[in-house]
Amino acid sequence: MSAFSKDEGIYSLDLTIDEAHILINLVEQLLELLGEGDFNHHYDESDPFAQLMAQLKAAPDEVVVPDDPVLLRLLPNAYADPEAAADFRRYTEPTLRGKKKRTLEQVRKALEVIVDEDRAGVVDDLDSELWLMAINDLRLALSVRLEITPDSFDLFETLSDEDPQKPIYAVYFWLGWLQESLLTLLAQG
Amino acid sequence: MATDTMIESDLDISQLVDKPWVTIVWDDPVNLMSYVTFVFIKLFGFTQERAHELMMQVHNDGRAAVSTGSREEMERDVQRLHEHGLWATLQRDDKF
Repeated sequence: MSAFSKDEGIYSLDLTIDEAHILINLVEQLLELLGEGDFNHHYDESDPFAQLMAQLKAAPDEVVVPDDPVLLRLLPNAYADPEAAADFRRYTEPTLRGKKKRTLEQVRKALEVIVDEDRAGVVDDLDSELWLMAINDLRLALSVRLEITPDSFDLFETLSDEDPQKPIYAVYFWLGWLQESLLTLLAQG
Repeated sequence: MATDTMIESDLDISQLVDKPWVTIVWDDPVNLMSYVTFVFIKLFGFTQERAHELMMQVHNDGRAAVSTGSREEMERDVQRLHEHGLWATLQRDDKF
């Protein structure tokens, strides 16, 4: 299985073509959910991940608490008090949303090179902390749709191979493993 | 007498003005323990030991106070934690 590696301070990620496709599709679906629709994406609407991600896409005109639970997890309330939370959100959410989109967009650009050539490949000289944050947001998004709990890995192991949810769980846990491999490298300094 | 009153009144005002706010990080079943520790070190400059201790507090108690200060400072900390995908809120210190 592919993983991150580090050589003389330069981080890279070796991906199979299938892994690159899965990653770029997830990134693009999350970008669309965050309200970035201006690109030709690599997935089609029948993709099970697209169906999982695509729910309430229309962004409201004003900044309000998101209806979509994925967006609420990525752009959470800063205060328990609804009024204080709404005020804070009005001033800060566009910035937070913009930063998340820029992070995902950079990861998308790096993956696009591999995917468009339709070959396995290495993402070389990548921004490790940016990838770390992007993978984390992908995991958060999937976790909301899968309703992940501390017992989910046990559940995953009992799912039959025919279960349509199984490949989605598999990708979720693969992303966790990938993120852990990057964190291990980062901890080495 | 007059001096005492002055001091007492000063204390009251300083309590109101300096009432600290606190940033709370809440547990969730998704963020990796190693990731939470990494983010604490990156954002707050904690030692590995302190970051690990706070991460374990989040994990075991469901939440931990990771920073205290003015409301503006805590809003900035919460925003940075949200950028990194951690579930954080701020509140007055006395409610924690």
